[in-house]
Amino acid sequence: MKFHWFHLMPYPDLPEDFRQRTHSVWVDIPSTLFDPKRGHAVYNEYLDELEFADAVGFDGICVNEHHQNGYGLMPSPNLIAASLARRTSNAKLVLMGNSVALYNPPTRVAEEMAMLDVISGGRLVAGFPVGTAMDTTFCYGQSPATLRDKYREGVQLIMRAWTEREPFAFNGKFTQLRYVNLWPRPLQQPHPPVWVPGGGSIETWDWCVENDFLYANLSYFGYERAAKNITGYWEAVDRLGADPNPYRAGFLQFVGVADSDAEAERLYARHAEYFYNRCLHLYPPFTDVPGYSTLATVRKGLESQVTLAAMQSQSELKWKDIVERGYVIAGSVDTVVDRLNALADKLRVGHLMVLCQYGDMPKDTTLYNTERLAREVMPRLRHRFDEWEDRWWPRDTLQQRATPAPVAAVA
Amino acid sequence: MAGVRDVRLRDGRTWPVYEAGAGPALVWLHGLNGLDTEDPTLDLLARRFRVSAPVAPGFASLADLAEIDDVHDLALAYDDLFEALGLEGVALVGHSFGAMVAAEIAAHVPRRVGRLVLMAPFGLWNDAYPVADIFAQRQPDLQALLWVDDAAQRRFAQRAPDPKSAEGIEATLKRIQGLTAMTKFVWPIPDKGLKKRLPRIAAPTLGLFGEGDGIISPRYAADLAAGIPRCETAVIEGAAHMLPYEAPDDVATRIADHAGAATAAA
Repeated sequence: MKFHWFHLMPYPDLPEDFRQRTHSVWVDIPSTLFDPKRGHAVYNEYLDELEFADAVGFDGICVNEHHQNGYGLMPSPNLIAASLARRTSNAKLVLMGNSVALYNPPTRVAEEMAMLDVISGGRLVAGFPVGTAMDTTFCYGQSPATLRDKYREGVQLIMRAWTEREPFAFNGKFTQLRYVNLWPRPLQQPHPPVWVPGGGSIETWDWCVENDFLYANLSYFGYERAAKNITGYWEAVDRLGADPNPYRAGFLQFVGVADSDAEAERLYARHAEYFYNRCLHLYPPFTDVPGYSTLATVRKGLESQVTLAAMQSQSELKWKDIVERGYVIAGSVDTVVDRLNALADKLRVGHLMVLCQYGDMPKDTTLYNTERLAREVMPRLRHRFDEWEDRWWPRDTLQQRATPAPVAAVA
Repeated sequence: MAGVRDVRLRDGRTWPVYEAGAGPALVWLHGLNGLDTEDPTLDLLARRFRVSAPVAPGFASLADLAEIDDVHDLALAYDDLFEALGLEGVALVGHSFGAMVAAEIAAHVPRRVGRLVLMAPFGLWNDAYPVADIFAQRQPDLQALLWVDDAAQRRFAQRAPDPKSAEGIEATLKRIQGLTAMTKFVWPIPDKGLKKRLPRIAAPTLGLFGEGDGIISPRYAADLAAGIPRCETAVIEGAAHMLPYEAPDDVATRIADHAGAATAAA
């Protein structure tokens, strides 16, 4: 089992009465709440944390793309990944990823990811999310009716750009290019592993299997609730005759490690509550714009609308609910190991992305949590799924990599 | 006999069209809720006209939009339908999204349209009174933008099936599907260049607006009149975006008077 350290980069100073005062954390969050000077400190601390995760032995460090979002300071994850490419040495750069339909032309994604792969010495994992409704349709103006077609055409273009060795013409419905000719091309051949972060779209499952892409379920609501999605994916794997290799799946989980369960509450409760109550203060119509989910997916989900509605009407989530429902796996080392084993049993995911920083968690707490997870929890779970080969992981990473070498100024 | 039939186009495609009534031809293009054969204004018009009311592409099946990428494709698709129906110089009436489509048809293929009626049309944009974002509303908020006449809204709502029943779930999916189809032509802002094409509309045009329309402000009457060479507008009191439901007698009379003049002249 591999462990990846994921940062959402939440803004840590959303006011206490954020839920009452504002319409939504996403899309139309008041930009006056962002203090750029505070942002300077926050970005640099968050980069320190990602670099620390590399230093303590996480397999990958993950960044992602969100727009106009109070809990995501990464409209461009590629900028963050570029910084990490120079300042980290071992961890793979799991870029989760670029919402392909938002880039015009999508060859921009192929180029930037190739740059990152070359600069990092072949450490890139290329994530291609469709992107949330908030990011794609409301913030970036994509029509829900064509978003998915545009995304898939874009991914097809990127894959061709990475793999073909001669300039070619691309006559797509959404992109027309007379000369596609990638320069630079990626270090990993034929291309970096492709991961598709997704929610519960049933078409995505089949598409991932057919293209041999990894499917990563990114949920903030723990592994019990995610079981339906992951099960649907494994059913697609089975139906399409692919091997049930756990490494073709990934999952995102909040974790908090401490000396005891009570200590975990003392350390992490308020930061988790900040995340669930302020960062997830979402205006529901932004999340389910007509056309974003396919009709087949909507039809499948209709029965569970009540559950969703109940969740949305919840006034305040408390630590007790958050932990009991498994949104955050927190407690002593034994508690966390037990629950992560249960997660691995239930979901059979070879790639576990963990969130060790959430909400307004400060740097020292984050580093503490990260280090304990790396030193005390990870070693007890590493053997999981050892019998399988991970084919969704960088293979051509250079053994001898260039290191940053500043040149002293000549006086 | 009133009913929906599949009209076969030149290339073999079929297009569901509701037909009712007898008399001079009138084409009705439905609004954002999809074709409603019990729309009271449509019902009144069917007493004087032979009404053809096509289901907008995508509202019956999203696959129908595969080859229709923009408003130009859409206008030409309707031209194909009018050809199949043998319609030329016809009275064309559109409501809401349907009014945007009607205006595009009249601008793209002026000979198809003899008289044009646009009720609360999408298609224009003025920064001073932006069109509301119908796709980012809670249901009750959306209803408040659509209606001012509570009784009319209740009558409309009472005809809907229980949302938890199998029929209700299908209706919900149908509504989502229709809105999805719409997004192809009005997202993220419903201005796809109609303003510059308005001068191409040759048909005498009647623009009708609901005084309390929370989506298309009645102030758009001025924008419409400024662009279409022969255009009259009226603002209907006590009505909002759903004016065909909120003021059916008034609206149907105005349409019939305007369209009837066309048939008298034809």
